[in-house]
Amino acid sequence: MSRSLLAIRGHSPEALEEMISLGQRIRWAAERGKAPFAPGPSKTIGLLFFENSTRTRVAFEQAASLLGHKVVSFASSGSSISKGESLKDTILTLKFARLEAMVIRHMASGAPTLAARHFEGPVVNAGDGQHEHPTQALGDAMTLLERKGKIAGLKIAIVGDVLHSRVARSNIWLLHALGAKVRLVGPRSLMPANTSLFPAEVFYDLRTGIAGCDAVMCLRLQRERMTDGILASIGEYAASYQINRSTLKAASPEAIVMHPGPMNRGVEIDDHAADGPQSAILSQVANGIFAKTAALAWSLGEEGRAAS
Amino acid sequence: MKILLRNGRILDPSQDIDTFGSVVIEDGQITEVGPEVNEEGADEAYECRGLWIAPGLVDLDCRLWEPGFTHRESIQSGTRAAAAGGFTTLCVQPNTSPALDAAALVSFLQEKASAPDAGGVFVAALGALTLGQEGQRLSNFSSLKKAGAVGVCDEGGPLQSAGLMSRAMSHCVQLDLPLLAHCEDLSLSSGGAMNEGAVSALLGLKGIPRTAEEALVWRNASLSQATGCPTVLQRVSTWGSVMAVRQFKEMGAPVSCTVLPQHFCFSEADMLEFDPSFKAFPPLRTPDDVALIQQAIGEGVIDVIASGHCPYAPYEVDVPFSEAPFGFPGLETTLAATLTHLTQKGILSPLETIRRLSTSPAELLRLEAGTLKPEGTPLAQVVVIDPNLEWTFDASRSFSRGKSTPFHGARFSGKAVLTFVGAEIYRDPALPSSRYEGS
Repeated sequence: MSRSLLAIRGHSPEALEEMISLGQRIRWAAERGKAPFAPGPSKTIGLLFFENSTRTRVAFEQAASLLGHKVVSFASSGSSISKGESLKDTILTLKFARLEAMVIRHMASGAPTLAARHFEGPVVNAGDGQHEHPTQALGDAMTLLERKGKIAGLKIAIVGDVLHSRVARSNIWLLHALGAKVRLVGPRSLMPANTSLFPAEVFYDLRTGIAGCDAVMCLRLQRERMTDGILASIGEYAASYQINRSTLKAASPEAIVMHPGPMNRGVEIDDHAADGPQSAILSQVANGIFAKTAALAWSLGEEGRAAS
Repeated sequence: MKILLRNGRILDPSQDIDTFGSVVIEDGQITEVGPEVNEEGADEAYECRGLWIAPGLVDLDCRLWEPGFTHRESIQSGTRAAAAGGFTTLCVQPNTSPALDAAALVSFLQEKASAPDAGGVFVAALGALTLGQEGQRLSNFSSLKKAGAVGVCDEGGPLQSAGLMSRAMSHCVQLDLPLLAHCEDLSLSSGGAMNEGAVSALLGLKGIPRTAEEALVWRNASLSQATGCPTVLQRVSTWGSVMAVRQFKEMGAPVSCTVLPQHFCFSEADMLEFDPSFKAFPPLRTPDDVALIQQAIGEGVIDVIASGHCPYAPYEVDVPFSEAPFGFPGLETTLAATLTHLTQKGILSPLETIRRLSTSPAELLRLEAGTLKPEGTPLAQVVVIDPNLEWTFDASRSFSRGKSTPFHGARFSGKAVLTFVGAEIYRDPALPSSRYEGS
């Protein structure tokens, strides 16, 4: 069965656990030098990146290669997209190019939903605007399981620019579905005006927000937030919300520090938090690839090929 | 030619008439209204038992997109959609290309709308408040009025400067010209795609806060009171705007306001799936707003229900939500949505329904419409409504070129079945003609 992964919200805990456990099995095999998948027919997967991203695109290329599939990449520059072609027409064109699945990153929230409507085959959302980034959250869940052994019952703080973060929007739903207590921490200007539909508690003070937490997820602060008056200055933000040696003391002593990357060292995170013993950031990078592999396999209905 | 509309429920808010009887249209004019009319010599007779006979509906807020955007709509297609929806007079917004900021454009529009191949409804222009809708220099209101513009409006380029709005209102008082205000603070709304709230937070879409509307409702109402300029505040959508209008009316300000069906039929809670057909301006608000908007329509704080008709070509709408344009067609669904969501629920009486859709908009813009008085209009404008007809709206079969609307597939109860401007301009094809004919 093929199916799309457009968002975490709306998926059952069972489906999400299935993807995560698939990712864990892929990692287990890969770490032992074994083939994570039994051989199968090679397919062609389109990677449509309407927004620049080297890390995510490379991770999906690796994921496809673990599955034994070929990728065709489309970037927004140098293609018909830069000539003013609509998203719908791009998708319709690619459908006839016999792609078996499509991975899409787009600056507009909801673009993968539109893509899925016209593509008809499985679509994996690789990040859409400020909406969701489901495969990042799946990898983060694998990291939490690796480092903490479980997710149910954990207290997890997501800290920073929640308003503009698709990573936050996927993690909130995934962590909630898996039984964690989710906290959102950040200044009011970077928090949605109304969070009543999120299964999460909101804090505007960093130390209160991360107090006793088992994991602290930092979000990337984008520098363009300074220009539109949302933040007065980088320095002021860092002074109040940076995760560092001192502020981390408010969290549980065993707390892990996470960051989806790329990091602004010295802004939302300092070297101690990023590189110290509590950091799980490199593990997130590795798990990101396995989670993307699992998401592709799940979308293509190929989970049966995975090593058990 | 003598047409007889026999034995219907006659609703004429301009004379507070709600009675059973007949209407006679002779040589394009209403000549008799009442329980007993002279039926002799009728060329056509329509049996209207169980139906309403009312003045044709008057729309204060629609776009026929001429000149400049005929891929979206034309005067021909839009006026046919109007006739099918029971409208007999349309006031079109000036956000065309070029904008309706000069007398020649107003004349062009009126000429084209009265051509034989058009739908037969009256089309009046709202002139652009500023040249090119750029918000900088006021248009020449007196020449717009002489050419036939029935009001001026800042649709398409909401006036940000309070000073300029104040001067525009002074000119309108001087010229006895109504002003229609699009209440939107662009510094708050810009880049937004839907109501700022719980759902925009969920979808990661930039929100349009309610204050973007309310701040300018307050400002424009206050300027209206200060200058004495009769001002129609267009498209209120929040309970805060309703409170402002209520308060300024109580203080005696010459303000009135309109509402669109989407703001009493839908809320942001209907928008969880990135469906661009729900993208409206103002954005769909919360279920609480919908409840208070309905109440305010019932109480008469909201004077007018307008169509907000704003069709787009299919390719313009089949894009990611944030890139989709605001608005959708409304001429063929406004009456049905009102009957289904307000009248059937007892929020509006039949007479008040017609008042919101016909008599009030006509009075606010001093149009010769919205009445069944003999000689009250240059040509008889009459709509026959079946208030209980159950039907499903299929946008793909609509007269409008715009096919994307949240009302697609909606079940309605109530519909315009016959529309007259002098003569019959629309008859519902699905209905057995025998029901309406035979004398």
